[in-house]
Amino acid sequence: MKRLVSLLLILAFTLGCNKDPDDPKPEFNKATLLSNISGEIILPSIAQFSADLNNLSAVYSQFSTDQTQANFVGVQEAIQTAYLTWQTVKIFDFGPIRTNGIKSAIGTYPSDTAVIASNIASGSYNLSSLSNADAIGLSALDYLFFKQGALNELQTNANYLTYAGDVIAKMVAEFAVVTNQWTTYKATFDASKGTSSTSAFSEFVNEFNRDFELAKNAKIGIPLGKQSLGIQLPEYIEARYSGISLDLLEESIRALQKVYNGVGFTSGVNGQGFDDYLVHLEKEQLDATIDNGFTAIINKTVSFTNTLEQEMAVNIPQLDVLYSLLQGHVIHIKTDMTSSFGVLITYQDNDGD
Amino acid sequence: MFRIIFGALLLLGALRFVSKGWVEQLYILPNYHFGYLGFEWVQKLPGNWMYLPFIVMIITALLIIVGYFYRFAITLFFLCFTYVELIDKSYYLNHYYFVSLMCFILIWLPANRYFSLDVARNRVSEQHVVPYWTIRLIQFQLGLVYFFAGLAKLNSDWLIEGQPLGIWLQAHHNIPLVGPLLQEKWMAIAFSWAGCFYDLFIVFFLLAARTRKFAYFFVVFFHLVTWYLFPIGVFPWVMIFSTLIFFSPNFHERLLRRIQLLFGKDKSLDSGTTASSTPFPARRWVTMTIGLYILFQLVVPFRYLLYPGNLYWNEEGFRFSWRVMLMHKEGHAVFYLKDKKTGRESEINNAKFLTRTQEDQMATQPDMILQYAQFLKSHYQGQVLHFGDQKFTIEDPAIHAEIYVSLNNRLSQKFVDKRHDLTTFAYDLKHRKWLEPFNE
Repeated sequence: MKRLVSLLLILAFTLGCNKDPDDPKPEFNKATLLSNISGEIILPSIAQFSADLNNLSAVYSQFSTDQTQANFVGVQEAIQTAYLTWQTVKIFDFGPIRTNGIKSAIGTYPSDTAVIASNIASGSYNLSSLSNADAIGLSALDYLFFKQGALNELQTNANYLTYAGDVIAKMVAEFAVVTNQWTTYKATFDASKGTSSTSAFSEFVNEFNRDFELAKNAKIGIPLGKQSLGIQLPEYIEARYSGISLDLLEESIRALQKVYNGVGFTSGVNGQGFDDYLVHLEKEQLDATIDNGFTAIINKTVSFTNTLEQEMAVNIPQLDVLYSLLQGHVIHIKTDMTSSFGVLITYQDNDGD
Repeated sequence: MFRIIFGALLLLGALRFVSKGWVEQLYILPNYHFGYLGFEWVQKLPGNWMYLPFIVMIITALLIIVGYFYRFAITLFFLCFTYVELIDKSYYLNHYYFVSLMCFILIWLPANRYFSLDVARNRVSEQHVVPYWTIRLIQFQLGLVYFFAGLAKLNSDWLIEGQPLGIWLQAHHNIPLVGPLLQEKWMAIAFSWAGCFYDLFIVFFLLAARTRKFAYFFVVFFHLVTWYLFPIGVFPWVMIFSTLIFFSPNFHERLLRRIQLLFGKDKSLDSGTTASSTPFPARRWVTMTIGLYILFQLVVPFRYLLYPGNLYWNEEGFRFSWRVMLMHKEGHAVFYLKDKKTGRESEINNAKFLTRTQEDQMATQPDMILQYAQFLKSHYQGQVLHFGDQKFTIEDPAIHAEIYVSLNNRLSQKFVDKRHDLTTFAYDLKHRKWLEPFNE
């Protein structure tokens, strides 16, 4: 029996060896990938977003004491800067960002302008309450500072000015918690390289996919009418009042591409990312498909010269092309890439059937 | 002895399920469940009542361990467990099926006739000798699981490509020392061959007295490795402990005595018990029933032969066949609601109806795709949808889907084409021609 087992094992080993005479695999290490992502992308983008929010808070106070047009524009610019940085931060909806509910508190759109208006009118509100979930965050600021006659409202309606300040203060306070918690969570994240669905690596891969799908659906699909029998829903456009929706989409896809390639947020250095993992798995072709797919989406996005709302009125076929690119890309990253990593999407036991 | 071990495993499994919050996550929160064909009438209990079958399972598992009202307890456990499993096939696992079958077998065995409270309280008379067939039946069921799992592994993906093990093993490259080795293809193939060999032959080595101890060592080793590498829950423990049934009565006797000492009882057990005698059950109808059961178990895993095409792609005749660890399938499904009256079309947000687990399972399993399409049809039929200032009454909805699936490390291929209205297909056991063919 013993002899038989060892014989068969040897047979199996030799069979395996013969099939694939030591082909060198490119060096790859999941631990390096995780520490590259956390150290070079997550922490710097969190720091940047935190700085953006603090700056926003500062220019807002400046404006509230000196309500000039120039100071108003200063606030508007600060909002847009933060909005763009947010496109990177929002990918990482796990760990402290998840536990503190930051993605929804800061990034939910569209805003319910009726709720905002009634909050301002009454002057009493609890921004943390569930009923105000659509009346806070960057989207609310987009409305408050970019809607028609915003400056006038800010200058004449004390409640309006206070409300805007409260929305900013809430974001600053909540995000400070994230910044703080990530300093210790980094070690946990870096060490959690297992394959279980609760490991940081799995969560990261899953959230990466989810963020891409969210960009596809919420930034383009829903406004375009993809989920409403083809009836356009411009009220669902992200950052509708400032009109930077397509800039946000571009930035969001760029951020995802950089994460995919492991490119540092501030350093711009290409470290270990999903691309290296695929190459390690001898899937260079898939890697090229994915990387080129991101680039194609970005190129298509920047080819539009007007705001999304304007394009929706005149340029549906080209927006459909953009949408198909996004749609097709999901299959590459969600099905092909994720299955290659052996990451589980589901959370229960599994016996592979 | 087997009763105690198995009861303890059942208890552990039920407690684990509850403690992980799965009752709520899997059964209370979802709006829709994928019932089994012919068992759609099995519905979940409303809200927190869903905890009831689990509480019953925990209590009855305790009763099974101590052997009190044994037959009543094991029957109730079987019913609760099977009921829970029948609610939704998204959660189908071979080892759940195995547990159900084992419980069913145990209902009919006199497992409470020795070392039990039933005996101590004179509910049943003590019996030291059990008919040999009772043990054989359990051994048969265990052997079947292994052997069919082995047979299923005799395919080119498993033996030649080393897939899906290759995908799963490479993910473990951070294990010290072994990690780098797990990256190699030959390693995946070696694991595959070893696993296949183990599954096919372990039963025979367990049956032979001479090789039994050695084989059992392999059982423990094999299942510990799988437990460490793969998220397969309590299954390894079920197998490690269940296979003890292959050991001789004397071995179990010694174990029982240890337990007794543990509880400080000094009344020694009578010696020379639980030895086997009659090879066949006395009554004829019992023999017949068991024969039928055995036949059923032998035939069901082969039903896939009735279907054309690739079994792993089409998944026709896949469940209840001990096909463990054989597939790594990942899919992406976009469903479309089409209003036939206006010709307008909408993408459906699956997250509105399904949990992530359900969506993930559904995207790769044809029967669930059909079930979901039918559910969507009934959901939208007659609904009035408001978009902007427009209003649509959906009188005759069609449901289309575009689905891509990746199987065992291949690039994804189209699984379902958008041209089909899925609601026009019957949900039955016939071959599903609407699936796109699989290309190697």
